[in-house]
Amino acid sequence: MQKTLILFSSSAYETTSAKEGLDLALVLGTFEQPVSLAFSGEGVSLLLESQSPEKEHGKHLYKLLDGLEFYDIDDVYALQSDIELYNSKHALWEGVTSLDQNAWAKMLQTHSQIIRF
Amino acid sequence: MKYALLVTGHPTQSKACHSALAFAKCIHAHPEHELLGIFFYEESVAVANCFANPPRDEYNLLAQWEDFHKTATCPLYICIAAGIRRGILNEAESKRHELDGQNCSNSFQLEGLGTWVELNSQADKVVQFR
Repeated sequence: MQKTLILFSSSAYETTSAKEGLDLALVLGTFEQPVSLAFSGEGVSLLLESQSPEKEHGKHLYKLLDGLEFYDIDDVYALQSDIELYNSKHALWEGVTSLDQNAWAKMLQTHSQIIRF
Repeated sequence: MKYALLVTGHPTQSKACHSALAFAKCIHAHPEHELLGIFFYEESVAVANCFANPPRDEYNLLAQWEDFHKTATCPLYICIAAGIRRGILNEAESKRHELDGQNCSNSFQLEGLGTWVELNSQADKVVQFR
């Protein structure tokens, strides 16, 4: 069965992109479509445990991560080099698997569609 | 091959909607390919705003999409949540939100993300324009 990857490369609260990407992932999960999430570039900011968005920033996206398992979304990846580039100090959400460049490239190839936000 | 297109880039901040239209025309013209549908999400939903009028001597992107819709049979979907968030409403949504006026071109249908999921699962190839 085909598997969709939702790839987040935009900063979590700079635009509504991350929110709308998560919305799409949850709907895919609701319809029992296989879906994985991957975070690269500024997108890794969504995984920061210490984030505390104000109301003006929109929904608290980090809180949505703990609900992913209820949508059968178990595969969540982040690019190791971008974690180091954008965030070397703060803890990340514990459900994420960090991948080096080679593993990242292989992971991308296991998906039939990649949708980027 | 069956195609589904996902458009996410804004019609004036990117060329996503322009490129998607050019690509859609190519698929439509090709006898071996089929276009299942085009789904507009994120900022791209602004393309359906019929209150937006570029100067008369400039390219009218919405008019081009409306022309395409007349010739091609594939549906043009606007994500309903993304559309309402950005003020793209048809008559039904305008009434539901107790607003005056509607600005969603009749060539486009407001649909939920479930419609995209269906397109995504039926297509052999999904192409995103952002």
